[in-house]
Amino acid sequence: MTEVTAPAAAGPAASAPAAGGQPGLALRSSEFRRGREDSWRDLETLVAVIETRGVRALSADDLQRLPLLYRTALSSLSVARSIALDRNLLLYLENLALRGYLAVYGPRVSLLRGAGDFLVRGFPAAVMAARWHVLIAVLCTAVGGIAGFALTIGDESWFSSLVSTGLSAGRGPASSRADLHDHEIFAPWPGAVESFAVMANFLFTHNTVVGILTFSLGLACGVPTILLLLYQGLILGAFLALHANRELSVDFLGWVAIHGVTEIGAIILCGAAGLVIADKLLFPGRYSRVESVAIHGRIAAQIAVGAVLMFFVAAILEGGFRQLIQSTPWRFAIGAATGIGWLLYVVLCARRRPS
Amino acid sequence: MSTGYERASEFLEGVRPNRRDIVTPEGVPLPVEIANYGERATAFAIDLFIWLCVTLLLYLMLITVLATIGGTGRLVAASAILFIAFFVRNLYFIYFELSWQGATPGKRIVGLRVIDRRGGPLTAVAVIARNLTREIEAFMPLGILLTLGGRGTPLWEQLSIAAWLLFFSALPLFNRDRMRGGDLIAGTMVVSLPRRVLLRDLVEQQARFAFTERQLQAYGAFELQVLEELLRRPESVEQARVLRDVRDKICRRIGWTGAVADHDTEIFLRDFYTAERGFLEREQLFGHVRADKHADRRSKPGRADDSGSPGPVGG
Repeated sequence: MTEVTAPAAAGPAASAPAAGGQPGLALRSSEFRRGREDSWRDLETLVAVIETRGVRALSADDLQRLPLLYRTALSSLSVARSIALDRNLLLYLENLALRGYLAVYGPRVSLLRGAGDFLVRGFPAAVMAARWHVLIAVLCTAVGGIAGFALTIGDESWFSSLVSTGLSAGRGPASSRADLHDHEIFAPWPGAVESFAVMANFLFTHNTVVGILTFSLGLACGVPTILLLLYQGLILGAFLALHANRELSVDFLGWVAIHGVTEIGAIILCGAAGLVIADKLLFPGRYSRVESVAIHGRIAAQIAVGAVLMFFVAAILEGGFRQLIQSTPWRFAIGAATGIGWLLYVVLCARRRPS
Repeated sequence: MSTGYERASEFLEGVRPNRRDIVTPEGVPLPVEIANYGERATAFAIDLFIWLCVTLLLYLMLITVLATIGGTGRLVAASAILFIAFFVRNLYFIYFELSWQGATPGKRIVGLRVIDRRGGPLTAVAVIARNLTREIEAFMPLGILLTLGGRGTPLWEQLSIAAWLLFFSALPLFNRDRMRGGDLIAGTMVVSLPRRVLLRDLVEQQARFAFTERQLQAYGAFELQVLEELLRRPESVEQARVLRDVRDKICRRIGWTGAVADHDTEIFLRDFYTAERGFLEREQLFGHVRADKHADRRSKPGRADDSGSPGPVGG
């Protein structure tokens, strides 16, 4: 900063020497203050408007002046730190510069624009960046699934210990083939209101909470995340075994596939996001632990938010369409289509350049 | 960068502020003050209260809707309202922190802001990331605590879940920057941002008292800033007494021979402040930073030190 030597544009009083023993004594810091005070006050007014009414309340003119005034205040602060001993002035300038900094560098993206960018690039790119974690999450779920299947196929009493009563909703070792076939897999469609509004809504809220939990628990070094993934697999495996014992495995798989590809995919992504955090917490590499988590936590959060959207789609498929479509081949077809759709979306969109 | 005025703040306000430097993209370090626990708890309580009011309102609407209409409309209305309630809970913080520059209503009332820890811009992703974890940090522990003692699960199980979840809620207690789990993930921190006002410059244009260079060498930046703060205090009987004490001390230290009348005390101190500040600032321009009155004793003659390390503080 070379501003120290710049002559301050000051009023007539500025050069008046203080009377008495110090002839020619003019306080540089006072001159400096007089020259710049107006621009500080300007910035202060603009910042106050932004703080109370948002950036949009500023006119185009003011919006253009804001960064300039902010940089003036910053350079004033640098100068004041080297030449001034006025405590109030220093504290004021620091405060003003910080408030200006927050006004200039605050989040400037509107909710809509941000959502668009996120869908077109942010989410797919984040998933691609975490592909190894996704793979681990898939493996965890698969291991859980195989274990659940293997346990339940031989001894159906495992079913009741693995699946909570709320989730099994009356299904269990006591259910007959006809029960499962008529009241579950090919149960009649309850009607548009019941299925879209009530069922889908419940499923979405429930799944989202489970997903966010899986993600956030990555902070506990990922152990609960892995356990939750294993558990989801166990439940699925137990259900499959229950149906396999009643020769319903193909129908059951179709019944699950229509929404499950999306829903299980979303749970796996939440798990992968949690694992990213756990990974960066445990193995920070050349960063400090805190830095490492902060850098990669944003990728993880993007994955988790994308997964919430997937839960939304899954809930509509599950609550609305599953019972509307009463044919197993069609259910498989829709399940496969959603799977391929998600895969293409992630792979293709992740390649786009940031706009 | 001078640290003198921070020492003066510490001395005068009696508390050691929890400061960190962030570096703006322009390369200027700005000190920020980490918000303390009380402020953050208050802000969260206010937000929680607003959220509760909105949710209660929604449920009241639900009840009236259920009472007035019947049939399928009922189910749709019920789901719609539950859906909105879910969104209010999850989007409240995200929406406000995005559109209010890192502040929710609670944070704005208390004077807090969310900022990027490294001084970069606060991104939308960071805001979302720091708020997603609220589910395990706040809502689930609250839910469990509220239903504590309920039927279904044994008490010890509930208690252990609560304790485990409270560990996450208590995370800010265990790190220097008082970060929540969400802050940790998003790379943010919460700072307290009071509004400071620019007060009148205390420098006198017409000085009645004159001081010699030797007299002005008696003090340093620290004493100057303490004097500044004293002179800025509002007038009162107590204040007048303190100023007279200070005047006497200064007179003794600089060897002032003339008498200063009681009604001239403030003018004398202001003149002294002006002269002292002029002197110290001039010295500082040439690289001689006098942090406090002990500066000369600590350093070699002719070379003032600028370490600003705190020494004993006396009159």
